Amino acid sequence: MRDSGRRRVVVTGAGAVSAPGIGADALWHAARDGQSGVGPLVLTREVNNKVKIAAQVRDFSAERYLPKNVAIYCDIYSAFAIVAADEAIHQAGLASAGPLGSSAGVVLGVGAGGINTIETVHFTFLRDQGRIDPLAVPKVMPSSATSHLCIRYGCTGPSFAVASACASATQAIGIGANLIQQGMVDRVLVGGADSTIAPVSFRSWEALRVLTPDFCRPFSKGRNGMVLGEGAAIFVLEALDVARARDAPLLAEVLGYGTSTDAVDMLRPDSRGALAAMKNALDDAGIAPDDVDYINAHGTGTILNDTVEAQAIRQLFGDRTDRLPVSSTKPIHGHALGAAGALEFLVTVRALMDDIVPPTINWIESDANCPVDPVANQARPLPLRTAMSNSFAFGGINAVVIVGKPDAH
Amino acid sequence: MADADLSREEIADQLIEIIAKEGMVDKARITPDATLQTLELDSMSIVMILMVVEEKFNIYIPMDGSLSEASDLKSLIDTLTDRIQSSNA
Repeated sequence: MRDSGRRRVVVTGAGAVSAPGIGADALWHAARDGQSGVGPLVLTREVNNKVKIAAQVRDFSAERYLPKNVAIYCDIYSAFAIVAADEAIHQAGLASAGPLGSSAGVVLGVGAGGINTIETVHFTFLRDQGRIDPLAVPKVMPSSATSHLCIRYGCTGPSFAVASACASATQAIGIGANLIQQGMVDRVLVGGADSTIAPVSFRSWEALRVLTPDFCRPFSKGRNGMVLGEGAAIFVLEALDVARARDAPLLAEVLGYGTSTDAVDMLRPDSRGALAAMKNALDDAGIAPDDVDYINAHGTGTILNDTVEAQAIRQLFGDRTDRLPVSSTKPIHGHALGAAGALEFLVTVRALMDDIVPPTINWIESDANCPVDPVANQARPLPLRTAMSNSFAFGGINAVVIVGKPDAH
Repeated sequence: MADADLSREEIADQLIEIIAKEGMVDKARITPDATLQTLELDSMSIVMILMVVEEKFNIYIPMDGSLSEASDLKSLIDTLTDRIQSSNA
């Protein structure tokens, strides 16, 4: 790996809220065991939708998990973030640390922000002629979840939201690591949160025709689209020296981050952009393609994404691709858009910790256009030194992070 | 629904109308062997066509799956007709 003298960055805490349940364990165990969180879609209003499935967080409300004086300011996406962050802070051993101060920042990925609140306000105010929600503005802000975490843990260093559609959370993780490497902070909460399974939002996704009406089956022949998800995953990143000084748990090391932009098309991905992001991440980590032992793919289950991603992987990794497991866990937790990279980073870190590659479920038959090993339907025990997590967004924004075992270097 | 009684030919005729209007294609150019490429029916045109197909036939058809194999107008119309008829079955 790179020995540039830059500060090394480790993950010391992780938390999640996702369709499989509350908590990092719920997400990882579902991904590892191939237990899908996809179920019958529940919308708060009838919008004549034809697609009837989604990976929704069930029985969740801000009021159920948070004190009233916090919940009142929360769109559901912020509530997901806070619940996930509490778990991460607890695991990192910082729950009793008091305000984290100016050496701590927050960088969160977000796709749509408070779209549930936007829709509710519009229905209530415009259609029902009801009262406008006086707290709509602080709920809707794409930086709302970020600010909630800053206030909750007393992080007075840099904080902002990253909005790059499906690449948001992976960029947030990479940029957060950069802030530590540059010496701007010692500690940063990163990840992503999103909930776009609101009636009109869902119908809009449906109108794009990218949703599967039945099964999300990435890299498989017969795939016919993605399944929407929602949730949040939050991580505590720390400088290795700071984490070691306080005997913090070392879950993984962030070895590299790469990003790129296709600059070609709003919807159609370009394999050159995906390839560049993966190559940039390898260069940043200072490792070779042969050093990567697992890729958690973007793998949406659309024909185009999976084809382009698989071909970019084959192009970059060459013959190594034949011995490189590449799985998509989106059929488990759905495509959580602005939170997708965070949920998948969690799965990637846990795969690395447990030396188990999670499967691509619902896979039925190989597709010659997807020349990768998808770890079809069954998890695979495999010693892992490093793992890569890919996120490729509409608009052509690509982001990739690489993690390694914290004691391996 | 009323559309359940339509024959294949009647469904195909309605599809041609939709394709011409939503895909902004001159009806004279709509022949069975015309390819989607020569008609300049890109993926966004297909999205618009599928939106109207949904409104008219009450069926959700994703971009991917069987539709993605269609490269000429005949296969596009055949595939759509199959899906519409099977949803009415």
